[in-house]
Amino acid sequence: MTATQGYIPRPTSRNRVRPYGAVMTTDTDVVHLTDVRKEYGDTTALNGVTLSVRAGEAVAVMGPSGCGKSTMLNMIAGLDRPTSGTVRVGGEDLGRLNETKLALFRRHRIGMIFQFFNLLDDLPALDNVALAAQLTGTKAGPARRRATELLDELGIADRRNAFPATLSGGERQRVAVARALMNRPALLLADEPTGALDSSAGEQVMDLLLDLHQIGQTLLIVTHDERLATRCASRVIELADGRITRERTLERTSVSGAGA
Amino acid sequence: MSAVWRASRAAVRRRRVQTFVIGLVVLMSTMTVVIGLTLLEASSAPFDRAFAQQRGPHAIAVYDASAVTGAQLAAAKTGVAASAGPFGTATLEWTAGGEPRRADGPMTIVGRADPNGPVDRLNLWRGRWASAPGEIVLASQDHSGDGFPVVDSITLSGVAYRVVGWAYSLSGTADGWVTPAQMETLRPTSVQMLYRFAGDVSTRAAVQARLDAVTAGLPANALSAAEPYLVAKEQIAADIGVFLPFLATFGVLALIVAVVIVGNVVSGAVVSGLRQIGILKSLGFTPRQVVTVYLVMVSVPAVVGAVLGTVAGSLGAQPLLEEGFEGLGLEAGIRVSLWTWGVGLLGVPALVALAAFVPAVRAHRLSAAEAISAGSAPRRGRGTRAQRWLAGLRLPRSVSLGLGVPLSRPGRTAFTVVAVLLGVTTVTFASGLADSLERIATVQEKASGQVLVIPSDGKSRIAGPRDVPPTGEPAKTTRTDAEVEQLLRGLPDAARVSAVRGTTVPAVGQTEPVRVLYFRGDFASMGYRDELTAGRWMSGPDETVVPSELMKERRLAVGDTITLELGGRRAALTIVGEVMDGPSGQPGIFADWSVFTSLEPDRVVAPHEMEYQVQLKPTGNVAAYADAVRAADPGLDALDMSERRSDFQYIVVGFSSTLSLLLAAVAALGVFNTVVLNVRERRRDLGMLKSIGMTPRQVVAMVLTSMAAVGVVGGLLGIPVGVLAHGYIMPAAADAAQVSIPQSVMDVWQAPMLLALAFAGVVIAMLGALLPARGAARLRIAEVLHNE
Ligand SMILES: Nc1ncnc2c1ncn2[C@@H]1O[C@H](COP(=O)(O)OP(=O)(O)O)[C@@H](O)[C@H]1O
Ligand SMILES: [Mg+2]
Repeated sequence: MTATQGYIPRPTSRNRVRPYGAVMTTDTDVVHLTDVRKEYGDTTALNGVTLSVRAGEAVAVMGPSGCGKSTMLNMIAGLDRPTSGTVRVGGEDLGRLNETKLALFRRHRIGMIFQFFNLLDDLPALDNVALAAQLTGTKAGPARRRATELLDELGIADRRNAFPATLSGGERQRVAVARALMNRPALLLADEPTGALDSSAGEQVMDLLLDLHQIGQTLLIVTHDERLATRCASRVIELADGRITRERTLERTSVSGAGA
Repeated sequence: MSAVWRASRAAVRRRRVQTFVIGLVVLMSTMTVVIGLTLLEASSAPFDRAFAQQRGPHAIAVYDASAVTGAQLAAAKTGVAASAGPFGTATLEWTAGGEPRRADGPMTIVGRADPNGPVDRLNLWRGRWASAPGEIVLASQDHSGDGFPVVDSITLSGVAYRVVGWAYSLSGTADGWVTPAQMETLRPTSVQMLYRFAGDVSTRAAVQARLDAVTAGLPANALSAAEPYLVAKEQIAADIGVFLPFLATFGVLALIVAVVIVGNVVSGAVVSGLRQIGILKSLGFTPRQVVTVYLVMVSVPAVVGAVLGTVAGSLGAQPLLEEGFEGLGLEAGIRVSLWTWGVGLLGVPALVALAAFVPAVRAHRLSAAEAISAGSAPRRGRGTRAQRWLAGLRLPRSVSLGLGVPLSRPGRTAFTVVAVLLGVTTVTFASGLADSLERIATVQEKASGQVLVIPSDGKSRIAGPRDVPPTGEPAKTTRTDAEVEQLLRGLPDAARVSAVRGTTVPAVGQTEPVRVLYFRGDFASMGYRDELTAGRWMSGPDETVVPSELMKERRLAVGDTITLELGGRRAALTIVGEVMDGPSGQPGIFADWSVFTSLEPDRVVAPHEMEYQVQLKPTGNVAAYADAVRAADPGLDALDMSERRSDFQYIVVGFSSTLSLLLAAVAALGVFNTVVLNVRERRRDLGMLKSIGMTPRQVVAMVLTSMAAVGVVGGLLGIPVGVLAHGYIMPAAADAAQVSIPQSVMDVWQAPMLLALAFAGVVIAMLGALLPARGAARLRIAEVLHNE
């Protein structure tokens, strides 16, 4: 599978100016967490995390189960709010956005991929993908055309009318990736994207993410799969008990820094 | 908006079961509410409606024909919107050889050319209007039962008339009508004017003021009597008032059930859609858009259900209305009102939206991360202690697992219990009501015997409610009063006979004479004693028992003394007890026959002045006995009074069983919905249980057990509520009807009935749970595990 220019988001020139807030620029950090803490009752899921992700970077977050990876990703996506600390994404302080503004932010800026796909069971694959564009005001026709193109490029155009329940895990994840890319997000977040897949389906998704990274997509991937991390990421962050314990930069994949 | 619409439409289309359940619940609830409201409305203002329909007169004025001319009356129109008359009016005796038969006192006969006109449009429900001399139209409600005299001719003050029609005036403007020409020959001494006034007529004083304005220009003593419409209105209100407590009870129950079930179904839809909500939010749906998706998802089936339910409810209410109000002469103009349509079409969907509001707000507030994780796994921790305790019991594993299911969703379970509870409450109340009414009917039937024998006066004859009207010349009996009684006692199967003579007697200290029923024979042992509502039965000729209606009307109490006075003779009777209502007809105080002989020692009573009530042996055949009476003496009319159930009883029982069936069905749907949701949420558990070897039968057992518990609890709580409602509503209804009811009528809660009711909850729960339980048993393991 090769990603072509067709669906690759252009975080620089082609992103339209959004009416809701600051324009993202490539010379600032796309993500900036400052001393983020998150508590669920007695559990401390994140215990003071500070982290920056630059545009065009692909960052892998690793760590044992329960260390707070998903929690961190949810903070960055604006799906949840920190107990303390600030979360800035694309120059926007998410703590200052109300729920509606957060939704608009997600809709335009973020693409998300989950371990268990989280497709809408009620809609066929094509509409699952098209829905994301329709949310931003694209008419149904153009939205479906673009969704078809994306599904085609991901090699699952023939399953576009199937409902999620009848798709295999790999197919579902590819539909989820297409959906995440639909609005050309500035930031693509993936939470254990290969966690529920067999090795060959996992390979395909990894290739897909690698291609995306090489063309300049800013990526944040949560995984505990060392192979996925080393293949796709330019930097690996290790998390344990809600803290960052180690950080390393991987030389050979850092191709896209120049793309900015 | 189009993304929102797309997501909503997909949810409506793909969640067929949920859409169907919401639609059906709303449909049935709407139907119940529409029927309830229609009947409630029909009974709250039926008089006004029918009165408007008939253009009833606000005042019936009777003028002295010698004091005022027709021209003067026609000219006096101050404040009059419409008037009819002057109609010649004569007061005639129904001379059937002696005393009047049908009612006490003389009859008011009016000369009228036609039943219509600007005021008092009569309902000519049988036959035609009088058009020739010698023809008469009699006044009666459109109602052929109740031993109403079926006569084709009648003699009034010595003149025979042919009865050509029957008409009903809500305002009771006359007892009969003849042609104006015929009236001339009767030389009427008074004339009747019927007025409809412009302006305020809400009180007696207001009506009087209008009437004064009309009569101001007329000779001073021209007006001899006047009756405001409020007299008739109040009387009808008392009749209708009996229905109100029942209707209100069912109406309130229906509304609560609708709210509870719709709320539960809708919040279930939100809870089971939590993951969906999370996904929508992670995609960038705003909270408001998520709420919209949910409201649309719920509203589409709700609106369809409300429309269909309103139509079905209107159709369902119509026959009940017609049946119900025909007997009161009020059927005209009663139909499902615009207002009720409004409630069904707008109010119910609004209620659904309201019920959806709380869960929708929850969907609004929920953080996306929480929603996604809450949707994929039901919350742990809840009910686990109870689950462990259940597991420790020596129950089959599928049963103990099933019992644990309700505990993991306490809110949903509570709602389901309430739904079953209300279903059982309704069924309990309706059963108690039906039984009580049946008991009243039985007590009455027993007391007054199955056969009523009325000797003919040789002029008119009387047919029973289900009898073919007698044909041929009426024969007059040659037997004396005592001989008739002797004959009746001697015929086969007669167990008890009592003879009654009803008459009015002046009483000391009472402005109006008192109706007295002189009894002879077995009246006490026949069953009037069972009708006692207070005090004790009479034990001597100086004592009396009085029907409750009369007690209230005359403000009497047990312990009071009524002193009858006739021809200089007096009889003092002490009231020792109160009975429910005594024999049918006008209520009168009970008196021993010896009181009559002491007041009128020289009076020889003719048989046709008497009524004889016969109670047969348990094995006796009523029709055979009645035939035997007629065969033995053609001058005796024998009426089959057995199994005679009042319209009221039919209406209330019909209505309450319809509504309790509906509400029980709605409650079962509530259970159905709960089980569908539980099964959907526990698909993974079910798949796992099946993968380790649970059989489909065990799965069904597990799901049914989970709801059996709900049914038992709902049933056990619903019964006392229903019993309480019965204990409160029955006396209230009796009070509205101005009667008291004996305690025996209230004592309907015997073990067999309670046992049957205890099962009602379980039956409702099982009916609702069976289908989804079988669905759960059929779940394909591979599919479930593939999708979770
Ligand atoms: N919604 C929640 N409520 C309570 N505790 C939570 C919630 N989400 C996560 N946690 C807890 O926070 C910690 C971190 O969870 P998570 O970020 O999901 O870990 P992981 O690194 O495996 O993705 C865990 O202990 C988890 O149990
Ligand atoms: Mg995780």
